[in-house]
Amino acid sequence: MVLKRDRPKTIARRKSITGYLFMSPWILGFLIFTAFPFVYTIYLSFYEVQSTILGYELTPIGIGNYVVALLRNAEFVPSLVSFMIMEITYAPTIVIISFILALLLNRPMRGRGFLRMLFFLPVIVMSGPVMQQIADSGAASMTGIEDQFIFVVIDNIAPWLAEALFYLFENFSMVLWFTGIPIILFINGLQKLNGSVLEAAMIDSATPWQILWKITIPILRPVFLVVMIFTVVQISIYTSGTGAVLDLVQSAIFNTSSGFGLASAFAWIYSLAVLLFIGCAFLLLKEPKDTPVKIQKRLERKWSAR
Amino acid sequence: MTKQLKLPEKMLSSRRLLRRVLIKIAIYAALILISYQFIYPILRMIVLSMMSDRDIMNPAVTWIPSNFTFNNLRVALNTLDLQKTLVGSMWFSVLLAVSQTLVSSLTGYAFARYEFPGKRIWFVMVLMSFVIPTPVVVIPRIMMFTGIQESVEGLQLIGTWIPQTVMAILGQGIYSAVLILICYNFFRMIPRSLDEAASIDGANSFQVFLHVILRLSISTVLVVFLFSFVWNWNESYLTNTFLRGSVPLLPNRLAMFDSLFASYAQGTGTNADPEFRINEAYKMSGTLIAILPLLIMYLFVQRQFIKGIENAGITGE
Repeated sequence: MVLKRDRPKTIARRKSITGYLFMSPWILGFLIFTAFPFVYTIYLSFYEVQSTILGYELTPIGIGNYVVALLRNAEFVPSLVSFMIMEITYAPTIVIISFILALLLNRPMRGRGFLRMLFFLPVIVMSGPVMQQIADSGAASMTGIEDQFIFVVIDNIAPWLAEALFYLFENFSMVLWFTGIPIILFINGLQKLNGSVLEAAMIDSATPWQILWKITIPILRPVFLVVMIFTVVQISIYTSGTGAVLDLVQSAIFNTSSGFGLASAFAWIYSLAVLLFIGCAFLLLKEPKDTPVKIQKRLERKWSAR
Repeated sequence: MTKQLKLPEKMLSSRRLLRRVLIKIAIYAALILISYQFIYPILRMIVLSMMSDRDIMNPAVTWIPSNFTFNNLRVALNTLDLQKTLVGSMWFSVLLAVSQTLVSSLTGYAFARYEFPGKRIWFVMVLMSFVIPTPVVVIPRIMMFTGIQESVEGLQLIGTWIPQTVMAILGQGIYSAVLILICYNFFRMIPRSLDEAASIDGANSFQVFLHVILRLSISTVLVVFLFSFVWNWNESYLTNTFLRGSVPLLPNRLAMFDSLFASYAQGTGTNADPEFRINEAYKMSGTLIAILPLLIMYLFVQRQFIKGIENAGITGE
C-alpha cells in the first residue's frame, strides 16, 4: 500500500518528529500526571468529593473547603505558619552557608576530597523518617542555646528575632544537612568562572574581598537563583519536626469523611505558599537586565580596555 | 578553572607570610567546626545506639557509654524486619531508578540534539514540573488510578508497585526534572560530529542514542541512576500514598518505629520489663540501621558520585 503524502518530508520536519518521539514518554506523563492534576486539584477544591460505589460524586460548595481549611480547622493554619517560618529562616541561611562552604572548598587544600565527601553525605541519608527520628531523639540539637548570654540579650530586645534564631539553631545540624547539593552547585559555578577576569582584577590590585562582591557574586547570580529554588523545594518536601503541614495534607487525603475536596484545598493552599516563596526568590535574584554572560563580557571589555 | 595568582612563599615578606598562614589556619578551623556540626547527628546516633538504658538516663554519660551494648541494635534489627525491608527497598528503588534513568536520558537526548517546534516551552515545562509541589498533584493521580482500577475487573493498582512505576517511566518520578537536566547538560557537550559519523555509517537516531551518546556518557548515566536510587529509597510521601505498605520499605518502617517497637515488645512478652521501653537508644539504633545500606553504598561510589555531579553540572547556562 502506498501512503499518500500531502507534503514532502523535509529533513527538518523529520528531525522534529524524531525529537518529539524521544520526548513522547515524558510529554505524555507530564500531561497526564502533572499538568492535568495541577488544574484538576484547583477545580476539586471547590467541590465536596464523596467516594461512592459508582465512583466519585462531586457537589459544588463554592469556597466552603477554604473556609474550613483557613477558619474552622484548628491545626492547618498554625502548621502552615510554622512551615512558612521554617522556609523564611532556613532557606536564606542554607544558601549563604553553602556559598561560603563552596568558596572555602574551591581553593586547593589538603583533605578537600574528604571534606567534600563529608558535606555530601547528608544528601545520601536524608529522608523524612530519618530526620523525624533524629529530631525526636534530640540528636541534632545543640544543648542549651536558649541559656546563652547573647541569646538572652536578643530575647530581651526583640523576642520575635530570638524566636526565629531559636528555630534556626535548635536544629542547626539539620539545616546544614540541606546544604549538600547547593554546595556542589556553587562549586560548579565557581569553577566555570572565567579565570582571566579574576586575573585582570588581581593585576588591577583588587582585593579578594572586592573580587568576591564585584565579580564572583554578580556572575554567580543565576546559580544563587537555582540554589534558592532548589532549597525551597527541598525544605517543602521534608516533613521533619514542625513542617507537619505535609502530614496534614496526607491525612486529609486518607480521611474519608472530609474527602478529597478539603484535601485539595489543603494541598492547594500549601502549594501556593511554596510557589509564593519561589516567586519571591525569582524576583529577588533574577537578572536585573543583563545575562551573566553579558556581565562577564562587559567586565572583560572593561578590564581589557585599560 | 580559576587560576590562583600567587607568589611563591620565598618572595613574600614575613608579615604577609604570617598573614597567609593565619588565614589558612582560620579556614581549616572553620571547616573542621562545620564538619563537626555536619556529622554530629550521625555521631550521636552511633553513640546512642550503643548505650544501655541506664546510660541514656545518666546525665554524666554524654559520649562514651559506660558499657557498650549491641542489644539495642539487635532489637532494632528485629523490629525493622531488616531482611524483608532491605529486599523490598532494594528492588523497588532499583525498578524506579532504572525507569527514571531511561526516560531522563531519552528526554535529555531529545533536548540536546533535536530542534522541534515548542522546544522552549517544553523546556520551561520540565522546570515547572520540578517546582510544582507533589501534594497538589497527588489527589487527581489517586482518583485516576482508582478510576482505572474500578473500571477493570480484578485489577489492583493502589497498594501495588504499579502506579509509581508508571509515573517514573513517564518521567514524573521524584526530581525527574533534575535528572533530565543532568542528562541534557552532559549530552550537549558530546560533539555532534560523532553522531553525524554514525548516521553516515547508517545508524538510525535510536542507534545513535544507544551506541554513541549513552556509550560515551556511562559515568553520567550512572550518576543519574545513583541519584534516582537514593531519592527513591528515601522517598516516603508517595510510597505512603500509593504503595500503602504492600512492599515492605525500610524508611516507611522506620517512620512507624515507635508503634512497631511496642508491638514487638508485646509479641516477645517483655513489655512489662522496665528496661524494654522505647527510648533514644532504640530509636537511634533503628535509624542507624535504616541508613546503613546507603552509607555502605556511598563509601564505594562516593568518588564517582561527586566527580559525576561536578562534571555534569545541574545548573548549566
